[in-house]
Amino acid sequence: MSEMVEVIVDDQTFHAEKGSLLIDLLIKEKVKVPYFCYHEALGADGNCRMCMVEIEGQKRPQIACDTFIKEGMEVRSKGENIEKVRTNILELELINHPVDCPTCDQAGECSLQNFYMDYGLHDTKITIPEKEKGLKKVDLGSNVILDQERCVLCARCTRFTDKITGTHELGIIGRGDHAKVSTMPGKKLDNPYAMNVVDLCPVGALTSKDFRFSQRVWFLKTVESVCHGCAKGCNIYIDHNKIKYQDDVIYRYRPRRNDEVNGFFICDEGRLSYKGLQENRQHEIVLDNEVISEDEAIEALKDLVKKYKSNITVIIDANLYTEDIEAILNFSKEIEANVCAPLDIYRDEDFKDDMLKSAQRAANYKTIENLSLETKIPEKCELLINFNHPGKFEAERSIDFRTHQDPDAAFILPLASYVESSGHITNEEGITQHCQKALSKNDPLPTVIEWLEKVSV
Amino acid sequence: MRECKIVSRKFDLKNSFTLTVSQAHGGYKTLKKLKEYSPVEIIHIIKDANLRGKGGGGAPVAGKWELMPQDQEHDKPSFLAVNCDESEPGTFKDRQIISKDPHLLIEGILITCYAIGAKHAYIYIRGEYHQYQKILQAAIDEAYEAGLLDACDITIHRGAGAYICGEKSALLESMEGKRGHPRLKPKQKEPEWYFGHPTLVNNVETISTVPFIVENGADAYRAYGTEQSPGTLLFAMSGHVEKPGVYEAEFGTSMMEYINHYGGGIKNGKRLKALIPGGVSCGVLTAEEVENLTLDYEALRSIGSSLGTGGMIIMDEDTCMVSVLKNILEFYHEESCGQCTPCREGTGWVDKLVGKILDKRGSKEDIDKLLEVADTMNGKTICVFAPSVSKVIVSFIERFRDEFEEAL
Repeated sequence: MSEMVEVIVDDQTFHAEKGSLLIDLLIKEKVKVPYFCYHEALGADGNCRMCMVEIEGQKRPQIACDTFIKEGMEVRSKGENIEKVRTNILELELINHPVDCPTCDQAGECSLQNFYMDYGLHDTKITIPEKEKGLKKVDLGSNVILDQERCVLCARCTRFTDKITGTHELGIIGRGDHAKVSTMPGKKLDNPYAMNVVDLCPVGALTSKDFRFSQRVWFLKTVESVCHGCAKGCNIYIDHNKIKYQDDVIYRYRPRRNDEVNGFFICDEGRLSYKGLQENRQHEIVLDNEVISEDEAIEALKDLVKKYKSNITVIIDANLYTEDIEAILNFSKEIEANVCAPLDIYRDEDFKDDMLKSAQRAANYKTIENLSLETKIPEKCELLINFNHPGKFEAERSIDFRTHQDPDAAFILPLASYVESSGHITNEEGITQHCQKALSKNDPLPTVIEWLEKVSV
Repeated sequence: MRECKIVSRKFDLKNSFTLTVSQAHGGYKTLKKLKEYSPVEIIHIIKDANLRGKGGGGAPVAGKWELMPQDQEHDKPSFLAVNCDESEPGTFKDRQIISKDPHLLIEGILITCYAIGAKHAYIYIRGEYHQYQKILQAAIDEAYEAGLLDACDITIHRGAGAYICGEKSALLESMEGKRGHPRLKPKQKEPEWYFGHPTLVNNVETISTVPFIVENGADAYRAYGTEQSPGTLLFAMSGHVEKPGVYEAEFGTSMMEYINHYGGGIKNGKRLKALIPGGVSCGVLTAEEVENLTLDYEALRSIGSSLGTGGMIIMDEDTCMVSVLKNILEFYHEESCGQCTPCREGTGWVDKLVGKILDKRGSKEDIDKLLEVADTMNGKTICVFAPSVSKVIVSFIERFRDEFEEAL
């Protein structure tokens, strides 16, 4: 542990580690300082020159991302001088920017827009009509679209492929104001984490092919959740919206910073996993190809449980919330059923990598593992109650609680998906995390707990 | 005017670029003498001579040499990188050395490597210098055959034509195979780094001056020049002079005397109007300012310009200063590496603004805007490219504002 020293920022005293970056302190203490190129995951590059602050004893303004904390340092982040410097640099940033905010997908979450509201707000003093032109839609690959004109050349995207993924697909070509982000000729951006560059891009230069033009970001509502793609438990934001007369749907997942789990990023597969979640959903209760009412279903279920008493096997999916699992265990005890949780099916060695992807492709794998449940279903199984487990099992009779359609199921009961309810999961490192409920559907489906309350004998 | 030939001594000899001619005229003589000194002693001699970097900055050379680790147990190799990315418009001295006396450079490299404990030297040569590179490579091959390079390897690294790669950290980035972008400056004094190893970067002419100093001693070098700017420099002239070219002269020489003596005066008997003293990055000077000026770092600094590389651009009375500035800014617009915002966007803006004035579409506000953008570009970037552009603009408008206003 390094020495902690006192730093004065705008007459306020803060404590920071000696030799650490000034900009980290400013970000942590929420001191407003504009920046494009700096990113905590990528380090300082010092190219945007926006994070200028005045430091006592220094003749010129300094960039906070290249200033190391010293004992007794006095920093001024406000004031006429420094704000003029920022305004002037921002003006330079805008000379060749197309200022096409009304058609730009980033509008509403754009750093350039925000900084203009903070430091700009002036009439243009640019008296030259010609702007540098660039390509407006370059398909970089991996669902990423580049607009060269909007780019501020902060190099976050190229540094991401250099430092984080080590795949080096992106680079900057050309010099001066002709410089452009590009891939090597004939090569595409192609790595399992590529779409993170869209989040990293502070402006509308890199947009996601999946999300662009689907929603204005200020209409989106955001909840905090955890990706269910694998047992890593990467933290995410779920952005959803209910358009008038339509249902509440998810438009995108974004990574949420958690230094203990995923850092700043998520994989593309996890990011796009919301799509599968919203397709082919099971909405009706079906018994032997006939849609039945909830009351009829509860009756039928109770009858079956009574008929097969002491010959029942319950199967649990390792993606369910811990609360759901507990409810199932209680229910099983009540009906004297065997509880099984086959885990082999979740194993996917091809998916695994040394960054964020885990071979165990079930969000709550660890909880199931800790319960030491039977992983093999009995050879002779009479009544099988399956709580959304993806496996196919032989049984005389089966009851399937399903979030998604299953053509083989004879008696199927629809279930709310994890974004339609809330609960806890424990990731493979044993960290328990909470997932907020994202969607409030027009016709909400019952959760596991709600179903079990209804059928409880 | 005193004739002084330290670096250009062998330039006029026939086949001066060959090893035979070089050795016949005293080339590589210092290598035998080198054993008498320890590396630290060599650095002391250079320090006593107060040799100043001849690539434009004019910083004391020994200061940089002393930063190199001297302890032999140091498990990392050290390197020397010779900066031959001579791209400053108006500067063409290094190519005279490598085409006329490449063995002097090699000798200088061997001494420098000995002094700083480097086993490998790189010569970063600008891409456009391919014919000079061939001469230099032939000389290196000759030196290898003669067994002169047993203790130290020399490799030529060709640049790809970017002006910014003359900046020492951008040069090393380029040598590492990356984009030629200047690095963030260290907070304390330290050597440059090439793949994480301590590296010294010096200009071709600086290295080529080293053999003379080691051979003849610090006092022999200090006999030339002024107290603070000792020695000589390959000053050069281009533009409106009768005999443009590179002529070695000692620091402190009168500028007009130099132009008249070596350059044969202003072309066609015209009058001098303005002069850029040392490559376009130095502020422009008027004829009146130049009249009593001497060629040394201090004199130029005292009037708000700099000596730079000593490559003077001479402009006669018919020159349009707006088009000169436009020409210079076009160069900077093309050559800005594009890393920092003020430089990347600023160079393009000022270029277009002056273009607008030149096309008679400008207004008085455009001149003020030029100065304002120049101010924003000054002191807010990683390297000194943008501040140089800023100073050039200010020097032109300060001295020739009436011409800019007439052009509106």
